[in-house]
Amino acid sequence: MALDVDQRLEKARRPGFGVGLLKGMAVLLKHLFKRNDVIQYPEVKQDLSPRTRGVIALKEENCTVCMLCARECPDWCIYIDSHKETLPPKREGGRPRKRNVLDRFAIDYALCMYCGICVEVCPYDALFWSREFEYAEYDIRQLTHEKEKLSDWMSTVLPPIELEDGADIPGLPTKAISAASASPTVEATAASPANVTSSAAEARPEQAQTAPREASAATTSARPAETAPDAPTGPAPETAKEASGLAEEVKEQQMDAAAEPAAEPEVKRDTQGTVQAEGSQAEVEAKAESETPSAPESTAVTQTPPAMAPVPDQAPAATPTPTRPVPKLEDLEAPEDAYGRVLDEQTKAGSSPQVAEARAKVARVKAEREVTRAKAAASQDATPAPEPSGAPEATEPQPEQGPVAPTEEERGAGSAGPQEQTGAGSAGPQEQTGAGSAGPQEQKGTKGPND
Amino acid sequence: MADTPKVLEPELQNLQDSSAFANEVSEGRLVTEQMLLNVGPQHPATHGVFRLLATIDGERIVRAEPVVGYMHRGYEKLVEQRDYRQITNLISRMDWLSGINNELPLALALEELMEIEVPERAQYLRVALAEMNRILNHLMFFQSFAAELGAITPTFYAFREREDIQYAMETVTGGRMHFGFFRPGGLKEDVPKGFVDMALASVRKVIKRLPDYEDLLTGNEIFKQRTINIGTLDREVAYSYGVSGPIGRGSSIDMDVRRDEPYLVYDQFDFEVCTGSHGDCFDRFWVLLHEIIESAKIVEQALAGLPPGPIMGKVPRVVEAPKGEVYIRTENPLGELGFYLVSDGGRRPYRIKIRTPSYSNVSALPFVLENTLVADMIAILGSFFFVLGDVDR
Amino acid sequence: MIEISLTAWQILVVKLLIILTVVPVGALVGGYVLHKEMAHMQHRLGPMYAGGWHGWAQTLADGIKFAYKEDIIPASADKRVFSLAPAVIFVPVLLLYLVIPIDRNLIVEDLDVGLFFLLAIGSVGSIGVLMAGWSSANKYALIGALRSAGQLIAYELPIVLSAAAVAMLAGTLSLVGIVEAQDWPFILWPPGLGLALFLLFLVGAMAEMSLPPFDMPVAESELITGPFTEYTGMRFIFGFFFAETAHMIVFAAIGTTLFLGGYKPIVPWGPLDVIPGVLWFFVKTSFMVFLLLWIRFSFPRLREDQLQKFAWKFLIPLSLVLILVTGAWILYGP
Repeated sequence: MALDVDQRLEKARRPGFGVGLLKGMAVLLKHLFKRNDVIQYPEVKQDLSPRTRGVIALKEENCTVCMLCARECPDWCIYIDSHKETLPPKREGGRPRKRNVLDRFAIDYALCMYCGICVEVCPYDALFWSREFEYAEYDIRQLTHEKEKLSDWMSTVLPPIELEDGADIPGLPTKAISAASASPTVEATAASPANVTSSAAEARPEQAQTAPREASAATTSARPAETAPDAPTGPAPETAKEASGLAEEVKEQQMDAAAEPAAEPEVKRDTQGTVQAEGSQAEVEAKAESETPSAPESTAVTQTPPAMAPVPDQAPAATPTPTRPVPKLEDLEAPEDAYGRVLDEQTKAGSSPQVAEARAKVARVKAEREVTRAKAAASQDATPAPEPSGAPEATEPQPEQGPVAPTEEERGAGSAGPQEQTGAGSAGPQEQTGAGSAGPQEQKGTKGPND
Repeated sequence: MADTPKVLEPELQNLQDSSAFANEVSEGRLVTEQMLLNVGPQHPATHGVFRLLATIDGERIVRAEPVVGYMHRGYEKLVEQRDYRQITNLISRMDWLSGINNELPLALALEELMEIEVPERAQYLRVALAEMNRILNHLMFFQSFAAELGAITPTFYAFREREDIQYAMETVTGGRMHFGFFRPGGLKEDVPKGFVDMALASVRKVIKRLPDYEDLLTGNEIFKQRTINIGTLDREVAYSYGVSGPIGRGSSIDMDVRRDEPYLVYDQFDFEVCTGSHGDCFDRFWVLLHEIIESAKIVEQALAGLPPGPIMGKVPRVVEAPKGEVYIRTENPLGELGFYLVSDGGRRPYRIKIRTPSYSNVSALPFVLENTLVADMIAILGSFFFVLGDVDR
Repeated sequence: MIEISLTAWQILVVKLLIILTVVPVGALVGGYVLHKEMAHMQHRLGPMYAGGWHGWAQTLADGIKFAYKEDIIPASADKRVFSLAPAVIFVPVLLLYLVIPIDRNLIVEDLDVGLFFLLAIGSVGSIGVLMAGWSSANKYALIGALRSAGQLIAYELPIVLSAAAVAMLAGTLSLVGIVEAQDWPFILWPPGLGLALFLLFLVGAMAEMSLPPFDMPVAESELITGPFTEYTGMRFIFGFFFAETAHMIVFAAIGTTLFLGGYKPIVPWGPLDVIPGVLWFFVKTSFMVFLLLWIRFSFPRLREDQLQKFAWKFLIPLSLVLILVTGAWILYGP
């Protein structure tokens, strides 16, 4: 083995006679005529991944002023002020409740090292990553973002992304990695009992680690796993050697189009052996080019986001396109039957009673949702309700409006303040629905076994 | 030299005695003087704030003494006041070109002390990310070496390749240079959908373009004239100074921690360890280029065989290492990186001693630079792949 | 047609004015071509902003920026020599343009000893580099100047000898005469010999202009800018940047005249005569500039002693041998 390298090395050390010089020049000439894939910032911006660490956004309603983020920050750049308030008891004869009220929450981005420990450690999901990075200021004091600005950043936060095949999502059996498996639904796939118990066992320390978080994590990560993006229908193959079918090509194109704006067709030829990719690549490019000219304020993107960010392309106000075929009412399993079935399966597989019950409850809720959808579709309602997600929906960042006097309702809603823990939330671009905004105080939707 | 301060006189005596050429002062004919040239700390070619006190006689270097410490940030003291997750995020700034390889020994050390079993999927992903970072590091040094020799074009080619890999790592970790991703017990979170394909595509692209680099540089006669038999690092000197990594392997020290004391799952992968036999700049560069190919092989194998499962082992909520000490060695792209962790039971380490590869590599410089030309000094410094953050911590 | 009769002096003044305007503009365009060619060979775009369309005004903007810079002369520098050095470098380059024939009748002055004039004036610039490096009171500049002196002297000879061989083939030192003597350009006929002479000239020219791979004196990563390290503002622009680009263009023009047939069509084929000579000259010079830049971006630089070895041990003996072969060709060849 080592001898082999040595011989190549010896051969490389031999003197050439000017031939190498010409070869070097030929390389440059070749590159002179190749297509250029330079992204001309700031007219065109690169499509960053959803996990990119840009700026940290604060969801004020969720913050209980536990101070964990300020404590864990390695740079001590989070400044929190709060005071305690006493509220009247909820019911007659109860004791007065004490609340922490957040006075000041500021992150000094001049100090922040963008490590994300605060986001990771927050037990109530009040901090989120956003991919915005263009907030340079002339005055360094402006780099300390107060809680109003941090709340504004929430409109740029993306929902959590779908994980790769084989990832262990707490609350669900581990999906086996196979190129043949079709759409990533959440039915109990061919997971061996050992897998199930081990994942359950792994799930438990995770639950212990992040107890209140697991609830929203389970809901949020389960849901993107359900709603597969439109075009690619198959999971990513392990190696491109296993590529099969058009789905893989499309997926490869999408990813190549996203990740490598000027991916050469030769790459695809190597991995897939088809020439079809070239034509489609041209289509994707044509589409990308037509998207290129844009207003300077809005974030222009060169290509559609990769499959990993299930962000709707249209404005959220428009009708969200259904991402799954709407089932027929007759085909569906009754929720109670689903509960019983999963409970039996899990008990047979050897899960502990709590885990079995939890999974059965999950299956029941899912079945209930399917029934609701079928009923809605059957009643000619063309707009199925958007599924609530734990994280706020991403919206296009709106251009700055400037000072606008708040309307009556906003003023009214604002004064009610954080004490209203309903699903409606407050007006403005931070519309939150579903389990996310409820926070830990109101347990709605699916939760873990701590119900 | 009547006005020379007393303390410098032995130095000057040294200068005149150790001249390689007949300094014909004694003969009374040609009077030449040796010049003290201060290379750095501000210099385009020294990879950072590195200072070299070179005594030159015309164009020939008589003596060269590296002066380090201009970038000392007190890492080993800093980490005594931070808990392990905070250290993980800070430590990738030590050798900033191979960020995630700096976090690895820390995670391994804690796993050994706390006796945590890391799931297979996490191991494989760790290997894949570490090797991708190795490719990033090697591409960076490839371009800086070429730029110092005067070839301006490889810089842009290398950076273009780095972009794809960095984008892939950004989708996973959120950062392009500083990652903060490894945790004791596994990873922070699992990889997003499509990562495997993206990573494989980016790595394959690098491999596809490597013949271009061969044509541009290793096949170029001018490059060969500048690097063959220049800056030969003697094997014995390298051994005694603990030179490791591509530099050591270029001097035919056949040592690679990944193969000799496998950590993570390296024993399951099939890869070669490239060595050079002459110890000159060309061999070091050759080893660097071919390590890229080997790393790409490992990435392919790791991602092809990625098992399903969790990415975090059984770790208590608060990471506290029990009392004890452990020394973990890993193969940083620049050489052997060692963490000696002493813990007295708590959230913060009692002491971490970091054995960095660049520090040892730089100590061998005086032996290599003796009797070389000033222009060769630049080539040699370029071929001695070191990062100042690694040298000084 | 309006008859304008000007005296010889007036014509000369007009021609000089043309030179004085064209050369800086040419340098600007050359600089832009440099940026763009380098960029596209390196798989990127180059200037895109300055001036709007693909950054055409980039070099102009750079020039204006340099004009605004503070004029600093180091305290321990030799002031008079320091101020004079850029002029000594730049003026000879301007003078070289006086004898280049753009078309049969478009030349400032058709000297009978045009080639000799070129070679003589072209080597004056070496003194300027030495002056710049020595007067800067900077160790790095000194090293750069010494390297440069050695290099320029060494590489004068290949240029002179290959030009002499061309003069032998053409039978005259006048540049118009040399172009007229080339039915087939000298690079093609005599076969092989012409190409060898051309390569010799090319290598010598690159070393004369301190272009990579012969840019040791100006080794950016080692000596910052070599002899010109201490220069700022207008002195830097005229002594270094303009001189380098204008020098490159004029050497490209000389190469065209000597080897590629000047303003004549590239091959003596009838239909090609339709294209005016000016256009031929322009196309050929552009090709030469492209070639010089292409070589410039491709290679690392040679070390100084390797450079000298290459010149004295290889190029000069080779050029002497080629002179012998040229003589043999003239006497015994077709």
